[in-house]
Amino acid sequence: MSNIDWLVLIGTLLFIVLYGVWKTRNISSVESYLLGDRDLKWWTIGLSVMATQASAITFLSTPGQAYEDGMRFAQFYIGLPVAMVILCIFVLPIYYRLKVYTAYEYLEGRFDLQTRTLAAILFLIGRGLAAGITIYAPAIILSTILGWNLSLTIILIGAVVIMYTVLGGTKAVSQTQEQQMIVILSGLVIAFFILLSQLPANVHLSDALGVAGKMGKLKVIDFNFDWSNRYNFWSGMLGGTFLFLSYFGTDQSQVQRYLSGKSLTESRLGLLFNGIFKVPMQFGVLFVGLMVFVFFLFEQPPVHFNQANLEQLRGTAYEAPLEALKVQSTTVFEQKRSAIDALIQSMRAEDQAAISQAQLRVKTLHDQDLQIRESVRELIEQHDPQLETKDDDYVFISFVINYLPVGMVGLLLAVIFSAAMSSTASELNALATTSVIDIYRRSLAPDRSDRHYLNVSKIMTILWGLLALAFAAFASLFDNLIEAVNIVGSVFYPIILGIFMVAFFLKSVGGRAVFIGALLGQVSVVTLYFLDHNEYINLAYLWLNIIGCFIVMILSVIFQQLLPEEPLEDPT
Amino acid sequence: MTQPQPDDHPPVFRTWNQVYGFVLLLHVLIISLFYLLTQSYT
Repeated sequence: MSNIDWLVLIGTLLFIVLYGVWKTRNISSVESYLLGDRDLKWWTIGLSVMATQASAITFLSTPGQAYEDGMRFAQFYIGLPVAMVILCIFVLPIYYRLKVYTAYEYLEGRFDLQTRTLAAILFLIGRGLAAGITIYAPAIILSTILGWNLSLTIILIGAVVIMYTVLGGTKAVSQTQEQQMIVILSGLVIAFFILLSQLPANVHLSDALGVAGKMGKLKVIDFNFDWSNRYNFWSGMLGGTFLFLSYFGTDQSQVQRYLSGKSLTESRLGLLFNGIFKVPMQFGVLFVGLMVFVFFLFEQPPVHFNQANLEQLRGTAYEAPLEALKVQSTTVFEQKRSAIDALIQSMRAEDQAAISQAQLRVKTLHDQDLQIRESVRELIEQHDPQLETKDDDYVFISFVINYLPVGMVGLLLAVIFSAAMSSTASELNALATTSVIDIYRRSLAPDRSDRHYLNVSKIMTILWGLLALAFAAFASLFDNLIEAVNIVGSVFYPIILGIFMVAFFLKSVGGRAVFIGALLGQVSVVTLYFLDHNEYINLAYLWLNIIGCFIVMILSVIFQQLLPEEPLEDPT
Repeated sequence: MTQPQPDDHPPVFRTWNQVYGFVLLLHVLIISLFYLLTQSYT
């Protein structure tokens, strides 16, 4: 990396962090620290909510997903605007009326202390695990590509985040996220235009879309219902809505963002801002990945995007077969390049027969290319079965490092680091808040001074930060990083959502019934996940969100009948 | 410490239901565009 890139990277990150620390230098009470004086405007809330969800994994993994699998992952977010509207109507007014610090406080008034504590603990487990992945995922990729030490990269990301989150609390998180989102969005737009400019002079955007479409990469929407298909309209609209209801409505890392709003109106507008812009933003990230795919139709891609894996084969018995595969790949690439030129010409001439012929030729050669890439993976696996051979997550970062001009590499790395820091900061802030408000202050050490809780909040932030670093240090890769975070969410969140759904909509159910229902629901969801994981059943993980939520609701009603108990008066 | 202000009317629109309707309408528009994109290039 050039000196200019280092300057851009360090300068951007340093400015954001120092700005956040300076803006929050007068934090003196626990309410200021955890709720940020409740003075945020809607655009800060909206950007903060988006930044919390958009982790570094989003910018490393999502373009790679588009490269391999096309645009269909966009359907994952289809339910999000619906969830935002439902939350604005039913949930936000309740949180505001009760002036809560955390979402789980409401549950004690509605049910009892044990249900509140259970929901808080489920959140701490799920989010604590996810925080480790949030740091680890970008660290492993960045360290591999940049040749940095993995542990040092993890510590670098973690230490900076812990520092400003401890110093400035939730306000520092929101203030820095506003800047981080500006860097992220600008970086993406610039990356898109650079990609466009790097296509051959005679290839226009319409040609690029045409080729991508003919290669099956532009299937954004699929209305066919299929339980086992991870991403279609129905899994996104139904499963996704439930996932986002639980994530934005009951995950403290998000609830805390909009509870810092100046008024209910500002918070509602912040969430609706997210509802309007999140889907286009994710589409944009995927579209950048798609453009990388098109770029590598005209520029020969490496046979494997994780260069560190290829380095491992050097000097071994696998080096010669690897070189042979590289030669084969070059031949196929040149043939494919000609076939794509023919496809573009036939599309421009609107000659259907020629289009079909060229499309078939491109597909045949593309399949050969995929076969070569698979053979390379097999070589790596034969050399060392422990090595991760999936290289989707390395596609975008490889493009950034090898093809972007000087200065832009630094900016795009700043995008990825900003995203890593923004989501981790929200997580640490929320983990500390829930630990202090729902566990420590409520059950372990009530009636202490404000200063005491402020200090404990800071200590908790450090402890969760260190725990996240420990998880990150010992984490291992799932098959796809962004899916790993979503799967962890889909295992724990539906139970929390189920508890909240019972609280909001089944007023006759009391604390004992929902507590038993939630425990059995969690066992059921974990069982279903492992049955699917071990291929006894075929169930896409997004469906766990609906199934888990309904299991809790149904069991709660059943146990309310079996063990009748007068529910508490609704605190709202 | 600034206390949360009581709810007031939404900007631009008369009621919150109109705001929600607008957001959902935009979403339907986006899904339609995705569908058109899928149909046009597949």
